[in-house]
Amino acid sequence: MKLKEVDRTAMQAWSPAGQHPIYLATGTSAQQLDATFSTSASLEIFELDLSDPSLDMKSCATFSSSHRYHKLIWGPHSMTAGERVSGVLIAGGENGNVILYDPARIIAGDTEVIIAQKDKHTGPVRALDVNMFQTNLVASGANESEIYIWDLNNFATPMTPGVKTQPLEDISCIAWNRQVQHILASASPSGRATVWDLRKNEPIIKVSDHNNRMHCSGLAWHPDVATQMVLASEDDRLPVIQMWDLRFASSPLRVLESHTRGILAIAWSMADSELLLSCGKDAKILCSNPNTGEVLYELPTNTQWCFDIQWCPRNPAVLSAASFDGRISVYSIMGGSMDGLRQKQVDQLSSSFGNLDPFGTGQPLPPLQLPQQTAPQSVVLPLKKPPKWIRRPVGASFSFGGKLVTFENAKPQQQPGIEQQRHHVYVSQVVTEKEFLARSNQLQEAVQSEGFISYCQKKIDMAQADFEKNVWAFLKVNFEEDSRAKYLELLGYRKDDLRNKITSALNKEGRADGELGERVKDNKQETEDLGSAKKTFNISVSGDVDGLITQALLTGNFESAVDLCLHDNRMADAIILAIAGGQELLSRTQEKYFVKMQSKITRLITAVVTKNWKEIVQSCDLQNWREALAAVLTYARPDEFAALCDLLGNRLESEGDSLLQTQACLCYICAGNVEKLVACWTKAQDGNSPLSLQDLIEKVVILRKAVQLTQAVDPNAVGALLAEKMSQYANLLAAQGSIAAALTFLPASTNQPNIVLLRDRLCRAQGELPARQEAVKALYDRQPMPKGRAGTVAGQMQGPQAPAQQYYQQVRIAPTVTTWSNKTPTALPSHPPAGCPSDTQGDNPPPPGFIVPGAVNPSAPQPAMYSQAGARPAYPQTYQATQQYSFGTGGPALYQPQQPLSAPASAPYPNPATNTTPPYLPSAPAHPAPTPLYPGQPQPSPTGPNPASSFPLPPSGASFQHGRPGLPATSVAYALPTGPTGTLPAASDLPASQRTGPQNGWNDPPALNRAAKKKKVPDNFMPPVPITSPIMTPLADPQSQMQQAPAPPAGAPSFQAPQLPMGQPALQGPYPPAPQPLGPCIVPPAASKPSTEGAPGAPIGNAIQHVQALPTEKITKKPIPEEHLILKTTFEALIQRCLLSASDPQTKRKLDDANKRLECLYDKLREQTLSPTIISGLHNMVKSIETRNYVEGLNIHTHIVSTSNFSETSAFMPVLKVVLTQANKLGV
Amino acid sequence: MVSVINTVDTSHEDMIHDAQMDYYGTRLATCSSDRSVKIFDVRNGGQILIADLRGHEGPVWQVAWAHPMYGNILASCSYDRKVIIWKEENGTWEKTYEYTGHDSSVNSVCWAPHDYGLILACGSSDGAISLLSYTGDGQWEVKKISNAHTIGCNAVSWAPAVVPGSLIEQPSGQKPNYIKRFASGGCDNLVKIWKEEDGQWKEEQKLEAHSDWVRDVAWAPSIGLPTSTIASCSQDGRVFIWTCDDASGNSWSPKLLHKFNDVVWHVSWSITANILAVSGGDNKVTLWKESVDGLWACISDVNKGQGGVSAVTEGQQNEQ
Repeated sequence: MKLKEVDRTAMQAWSPAGQHPIYLATGTSAQQLDATFSTSASLEIFELDLSDPSLDMKSCATFSSSHRYHKLIWGPHSMTAGERVSGVLIAGGENGNVILYDPARIIAGDTEVIIAQKDKHTGPVRALDVNMFQTNLVASGANESEIYIWDLNNFATPMTPGVKTQPLEDISCIAWNRQVQHILASASPSGRATVWDLRKNEPIIKVSDHNNRMHCSGLAWHPDVATQMVLASEDDRLPVIQMWDLRFASSPLRVLESHTRGILAIAWSMADSELLLSCGKDAKILCSNPNTGEVLYELPTNTQWCFDIQWCPRNPAVLSAASFDGRISVYSIMGGSMDGLRQKQVDQLSSSFGNLDPFGTGQPLPPLQLPQQTAPQSVVLPLKKPPKWIRRPVGASFSFGGKLVTFENAKPQQQPGIEQQRHHVYVSQVVTEKEFLARSNQLQEAVQSEGFISYCQKKIDMAQADFEKNVWAFLKVNFEEDSRAKYLELLGYRKDDLRNKITSALNKEGRADGELGERVKDNKQETEDLGSAKKTFNISVSGDVDGLITQALLTGNFESAVDLCLHDNRMADAIILAIAGGQELLSRTQEKYFVKMQSKITRLITAVVTKNWKEIVQSCDLQNWREALAAVLTYARPDEFAALCDLLGNRLESEGDSLLQTQACLCYICAGNVEKLVACWTKAQDGNSPLSLQDLIEKVVILRKAVQLTQAVDPNAVGALLAEKMSQYANLLAAQGSIAAALTFLPASTNQPNIVLLRDRLCRAQGELPARQEAVKALYDRQPMPKGRAGTVAGQMQGPQAPAQQYYQQVRIAPTVTTWSNKTPTALPSHPPAGCPSDTQGDNPPPPGFIVPGAVNPSAPQPAMYSQAGARPAYPQTYQATQQYSFGTGGPALYQPQQPLSAPASAPYPNPATNTTPPYLPSAPAHPAPTPLYPGQPQPSPTGPNPASSFPLPPSGASFQHGRPGLPATSVAYALPTGPTGTLPAASDLPASQRTGPQNGWNDPPALNRAAKKKKVPDNFMPPVPITSPIMTPLADPQSQMQQAPAPPAGAPSFQAPQLPMGQPALQGPYPPAPQPLGPCIVPPAASKPSTEGAPGAPIGNAIQHVQALPTEKITKKPIPEEHLILKTTFEALIQRCLLSASDPQTKRKLDDANKRLECLYDKLREQTLSPTIISGLHNMVKSIETRNYVEGLNIHTHIVSTSNFSETSAFMPVLKVVLTQANKLGV
Repeated sequence: MVSVINTVDTSHEDMIHDAQMDYYGTRLATCSSDRSVKIFDVRNGGQILIADLRGHEGPVWQVAWAHPMYGNILASCSYDRKVIIWKEENGTWEKTYEYTGHDSSVNSVCWAPHDYGLILACGSSDGAISLLSYTGDGQWEVKKISNAHTIGCNAVSWAPAVVPGSLIEQPSGQKPNYIKRFASGGCDNLVKIWKEEDGQWKEEQKLEAHSDWVRDVAWAPSIGLPTSTIASCSQDGRVFIWTCDDASGNSWSPKLLHKFNDVVWHVSWSITANILAVSGGDNKVTLWKESVDGLWACISDVNKGQGGVSAVTEGQQNEQ
């Protein structure tokens, strides 16, 4: 199709291939006049700007020349040297002159544009060609057999290729061979062609046809085959193109007879040797394959004869043709539409003709009577055969899993048939991150072999930075005995060291005292004196302070006595008196004391006494974070320990400088708070490089393992951020081809869509058909589907779980997965919990204990305490058991140890109010358990530390909520259905996003047999004893009631007994069932291990490595109450009947699905969660089914749906409707 | 570093022009000058011919797999001016749609990110780019950008689906407000970026750096950073990496990756967008990676690793 046009009657030359942008030079043609009969001449340069859609060529320069031209060529001489940036324009003139122009200067508008000029030829110079190999060599041909070889570097004296051929004749064409640089061919109108060898300086062969009608107008060498060339004939009687092979020069190899009249010019494409352009007096421009003679293309010209045609050297699809009607047109052979261009062209034509009246005759010139195509096609088709330059010979594309698909085709030069080429495609594995992979493998090995300690040690040894060493040291401690003490050591507090220091400090004093031995003696004497004085002492009741105190004491008024002492700054007296005055007075006195005393360590003492560690953590100078952490490590109770560490970490992160911020990681490691560690680490590390991610993942994986070992925590709890990092990591592994490894690292229990999708992709990449198709599908279904999916979408809106249901079914039979553990929610996270309250898809309730605290609700921001609470939901049973206490009696506190724990399995569900009860109030555990609905059936406790929204952080530091695992947090977060029966919410009522379970993988719940390997339950755990305990003991009298280990003093004010609801077993995952679920809970009161080293009040040894496992019973379904069994049997029978008579697979599928989905109705029957109205409605429906009156059944259905709570029925009523409708339709 | 794990003898009877793995990397589609498209199951290093698709009347230039959420769908484009969409139904591959709206060779096809639905961009030598959107029930809606690249469009590549202004997942349930973009390269030496506005495709950017035909463009997958990256390669032997840091997508800057001695035909990003495979420059495949200081370095010469066709032949000769 036509791209551009210029109205010039001119010779033309494209700029060389190396020139950018592309120029077209035109030089006024000799021996042609246009209608103006102008004899002026010019040399012009146009730019081919293809980004401009118009037909106009952009004119760059015009040089008014004194010559007209027979031939114009543009050579790249000196272009690379930079001397002539645009090469050299070489023109053949009318008077035997060869002129060299500098096109760069012409473009620049310079007046001095001629480089050199010689008029050595006789007559017009019609033939010019530049040697491709030595671009400084130009051959020219003119009359009388004159051929000169010009060296542009030495232009003065041209050479000749040999003796002139005889008889003398005009040289019309000249061409350098394209393969051999010293071979030149010339041709003349007589039809003869001569091939010259410049090394021999003589003609080596002459080619001529037997009939003398060849009239050579064109000569071109084959671009690829050295011995072949074509000659074109201008003679109308023989309008042919002859293909000659010099190896057989007696007759042409092939004759192309596509033109009907003489051929005026030819051009052979350098980019594709199968494309030869020719134009002739038949006004055609043809593109043929000279190797076969086939015409590939006819350019749609509506113009005149073309006398010159040229391929654009740089843009292989572009050619230009100069026609006798005074126009140069630029075409593309790639076809295309010229709708937009044609109109303009017509306009231009008519307007230019309209002005044609050069003689003022009043008569415009008639258009040239030349054959003209009428109505040119608007669509221009491309070449029949694709040109070589668009045939991609090589390619490489990446695909999933770091695979690279490559192919290459040998340069298509070989002749067809020589050898059948093999067409291979290679699939390669690209591995670029070797270190990353190696480290990932090490990590995997460590996880598999559980050699965590040695792994950490290795990391410590290898670590370069101190901080890194530190982090690994902290991580390592997690797996060691007596971790708190080890942490302390890491913080620089060695107990032994300290004792030594203290001893030495004391000794020093002792020595100092020794020097003053005399004095000491005196002192002793004094003491003795004092002692003797005691025997008879004088009770003074004088009016001074002493006297007043005495009086107060005598009257038993401790309070006043204490006040007096305080007032008199007699602190020790005051405190001693206060002890005698009772707990209350003591605390008050302590307070006053602390207010008065302002020494440096007062606050520390305060904290130690009041056990208010939160205060320390919250208000210490951050530079002292180590000390604060040490204090926490020493004193904090296990249940608050993590929270305190977290708190400190938070402060470091939010308030500290960059250095301190990184230290927060250590706090999080102590706290076992994986999610925070990830967040903190990510913030501190910049760069997304695989290795830095590897750094993070190593720590996280190890820490998670540690947390799993030490805490009864759902091992699959994965927070949003961690999930994100893990999936990044998995992606990286996959990209390195480690797809199996990627799968093991991918968090199993998250329902984040990107992870579910990645898992699916990884599974399939491994060639497995993952069981999660439906889940994935469900995820994709959220996407705008272009397909006619209206039905599906509507279905989704009713019950987004529908696809998931299918998935559950599939997974359940997977043999390798632990029961329940694979119940990964396929819930659409995009549906907020509120959106699916009616998710009762007949699924069994999830196992108690599969609580995903972190990841469950990505949309809800997680407060600091939240994930932490999730990480350690379970505190030692022994501890909890012994901490049940009540304030019921008037005494300071009386213990009621383990009183209500006998029937835990029946899971009375704790009063939701518990959640809001102030921590000191005894609650659920103390109440008698409500009668279990189904004795013997453990009721799932739909729990989980609830999202923050329902649980604002209590203002007081004393009431950390995390000590209350198993509380039905959902009772706040999700309103309990308060039907008359007061049943538990079916766990399936939970948003599915909370029902999470592990998958197989490194982060699976420990397999059953691994449970034994876990650390022993420290059944002798003694809670940190407050420092006041020795003093307290006489007053509080818990011992009489305490059957167990020495209890912590009841009076510890900040002590919140974790209220262990009976739902406690809910916290344990797939641990072996025990006959007596709470057996381990009631731990024999072993004498507390004497803690010789521990500070008073410090937890002993393994304090934070607690129990985890309360065995839980495997969930078995309850039977459906007998009176309702008929519902199930009837519905099932009906479906069976329908299935038998249904014919099309679609209906069958629907029915099968319905059958499955009704399971949730049966579950509801089992749980007795349905309201009586619904039940009775269902019974009515069954009756109508029995009478095969489905229409009535449908009516009842409608009635039920319209009168009942949508959320209660939505899971199964639509299914029933489908069944009834089908039954009606099938008439079964 | 690069090791051949599978050699697939395609039995094509002419040049292969494209080979693409599906989303999971388990199936390979190839196309050739012999006018056929073939699909192989290449799991576990094997090769099982699944389909030999005939329907084109000219060399087939490119194949493109649709995202599997839409089923097993493959698009192919050919010199015969047609785009054919093939679909697997009940285990059999069949032509499901044929688009004949171009006037010249269709050189490139690329599926939009699956988030947008089933949309195929097609670049043709007639200079136009067509966008085919599936509207359901076997219907395709066509939008055409005329004269996108004078003399021809050689390549199209979609931008990853990123919601403007936020890299955080949208509030659930809402359909994210994506801005659809793709890049194209053509014989006018330009890389252009197209953006959909109010249902219309508009030229957003014109990237000029190449001095000859742009043979291929590849928009890098998103790795969660706000930077957009495009690789382009050209007839002029040069490969450029274009980056745009600002969210509005207006300031693109090129960086020369390398200047080869020959045509560079194809560029392809790894899934993690950190490695670029460059095909061409003397029929070789090289892998490039950006170093920390932002310089691109050749990390591997695939030919040496795998032995191209010629090297394999030599190897076989040595064995004999």
